[in-house]
Amino acid sequence: MRAELPAEIRQRFEETLQKSYQELFAEAARLEFSPSHIAAMRRLLEELQSSCTRQYRRRTEELERQLRSAQAELKRVSSRIDDAERKQRHCQIQNLRATSSQARVLAEHAIPVAFENKKAKLELVEKWPGELERIKAELAAGTHHGRRWGDVKDIGFRELVPGQENDVKDGQEAVRQMKLAGLMPPEIDNAAVRQYVVNLAQRIGKHSDLRVPLNVTVLNSKEINAFALPGGFLFIQRGLLEAVENESQLAGVIAHEIAHVTGRHGHKLMRKATISSIIYQAAQIAAIILTGGAASIGTYYALQYGFYGLGLVLSLDMLGVSREFELEADQLGVQYAWNAGYDPAGFIKFFDKMATTEGYVNGLSWFRTHPPFYQRMVETQREILFLPPKEGLIENSPEFDRMKTELKKVTEQAEKEERDRPSLLAPVQGCPAPEKIEYKPGQPIETLCPGP
Amino acid sequence: MPRTLTVTAGLALAGLFAWGQSTVSLYFTVEDGDKLIGGLQSENFRLYEDGQPVSFRLVEPESPALVTLLAEYSQSSLYYLSDIGTALDAFVDAAPEGHWYSLATFSQELQIHVDFTRQKGEIRAAFGALGQPFWGEVNTYDAVVDVLDKLEWLSGRKVLILIGSGLNTLSRHTLTEVQRKVEGADVVIFGIGAGSLLRGQYDAYLSDSARMELRQAEAFMNMLARKTGGQSFFPRFETAYRDVMRTVVLMLEQQYRIVYESRFGRDGKFHRIRLEAFQTTEGKRRNFSVRVREGWRRQ
Repeated sequence: MRAELPAEIRQRFEETLQKSYQELFAEAARLEFSPSHIAAMRRLLEELQSSCTRQYRRRTEELERQLRSAQAELKRVSSRIDDAERKQRHCQIQNLRATSSQARVLAEHAIPVAFENKKAKLELVEKWPGELERIKAELAAGTHHGRRWGDVKDIGFRELVPGQENDVKDGQEAVRQMKLAGLMPPEIDNAAVRQYVVNLAQRIGKHSDLRVPLNVTVLNSKEINAFALPGGFLFIQRGLLEAVENESQLAGVIAHEIAHVTGRHGHKLMRKATISSIIYQAAQIAAIILTGGAASIGTYYALQYGFYGLGLVLSLDMLGVSREFELEADQLGVQYAWNAGYDPAGFIKFFDKMATTEGYVNGLSWFRTHPPFYQRMVETQREILFLPPKEGLIENSPEFDRMKTELKKVTEQAEKEERDRPSLLAPVQGCPAPEKIEYKPGQPIETLCPGP
Repeated sequence: MPRTLTVTAGLALAGLFAWGQSTVSLYFTVEDGDKLIGGLQSENFRLYEDGQPVSFRLVEPESPALVTLLAEYSQSSLYYLSDIGTALDAFVDAAPEGHWYSLATFSQELQIHVDFTRQKGEIRAAFGALGQPFWGEVNTYDAVVDVLDKLEWLSGRKVLILIGSGLNTLSRHTLTEVQRKVEGADVVIFGIGAGSLLRGQYDAYLSDSARMELRQAEAFMNMLARKTGGQSFFPRFETAYRDVMRTVVLMLEQQYRIVYESRFGRDGKFHRIRLEAFQTTEGKRRNFSVRVREGWRRQ
């Protein structure tokens, strides 16, 4: 028989799991939860996730059933109803589409991400104190130098994987095909923002193991993302520049992407596939997301929760994203940011912000990965602790603040264009508003699915 | 005697009303044979409304244009669905950056798959991902009226490209209602016929009534184009869609825009338009063909 979780312990867990990863790294050793309580809490989270997902899946299925039935009924009576009844039926179908799309996004994305986050934090509470002791022991014994890619003082002179230059052609072809497919957002039309990002990326590139020229493009898209194609083609999206709070956070993300290039992750994963087949697949996925199966209303909700965009569309193979490579890119990324003089914790702090307060994690290609959150957070933190101490690590710069000022103009212009964007999707006039499932990214999932 | 040139086309883009009380805005193209004519000035045009000359201003076309692709997508279209896909593909390849593009399909009712976007690749991707058509109806009349209803709320240069057979099954709107709708809409319509190849292959086996129905479908597409200043095309082989779509895009790029104050308000009547284009060289007048909407109506 499993142990019950006393109410006050559950309350303490719930408060603890609302904290950021950074806070938990600092506090985990002082938190006193027994192994049996942790095990009980884990089971409770599993149960809650399962029942919450099930609840919203059922709701989606029910709404979709109602939608099919409303459409079939419309088909049956279409030739003999008057305009007023037709409008009423159109309103009903329109609202069912909106609500079912919203429920599907919650069931398939928002709920699993929120619970993965909670479970990762619980694991951190459980395991980090012991992990920290082992790290300290390794540091004291000096054995951390022997870890893979532990030769950080030789960054730029070591050879991770020979043949980066052979990837340039593949990268060029991928960029060409993405442009041909019409999937690439436009570039930011602001020289100051572009130049800032290029300078920062080049600085990190120079302090990395990169052997190919870095080709940086800043895309005018609200998606919070960055991605790199094989051969040094780095793309930064406007949403990321808006989301980062300081230069070290942006440096961390850029360094992570550069690490995919230096590790030739895309090349390794793309061996069995041609670029054109990958792009074709991307276009197909894009279509599914963009159409949402329901007149783009699904897109609207997906966008609200961040489960959308080019980062989600691009083939993970092409981006070099896999369990093994993601962990490697995390490790190399914090090394490169550190070597370029930036606070290496910037990456983890941004990850933390996105996971804890924004809830967007699954929408970003650099978080679309198989390693569990816990493993990535802990491995990254471990690498940060293993890096040699360095004075004067940069967290922010006046250039970053100036870029933010310039970026505001770009964002205002983009938002104005978005507001002025013509739309065919104006709802049928005079319909009642569709049912709204109130859930804001980052807010406790309990507000959506009260526990048993 | 002045040399008379064969003048065929000119596309009339948007018989566009810049909805002041009596301001009328017209999009059109000028052609000399199969060649589009650009660079004409206001002195090269004469405009008549209900037979009376009117003064006008030649102004820059509004940009970006709003281009909606309306594709037939029904169980009944399965035999020529590849024509429709090829036409869409060809358009996406030919379409210039910078305009707004959207995609809607219809069978029993209108479905919007891509709202206006500048990333035209979304159109191709969305069409490629459509599942099996659910409905067997081809309610073309309803789809045209419904999409014009939606476009009515938007301002700017509006273009509708209808890709389909032109057939109509169970629409609630009548042909007369569609005609009145397009006369009052500030949208230029291009018709791209699908299924012409199939029709050619099976023509000998068609009954008289089937042949008549197909002629009516073609006439419907032509009516939409003529009334709104667009043009209809009925490609007889698949590769022709590329040329057709390039022509459509070229016409969009070569549009002129005229704005004038009409004597008439919202009187619900149809006001006929005639627009002449010419060039005088060494005292000789050379006439061009202008493709412009037949007229306009405001309720």
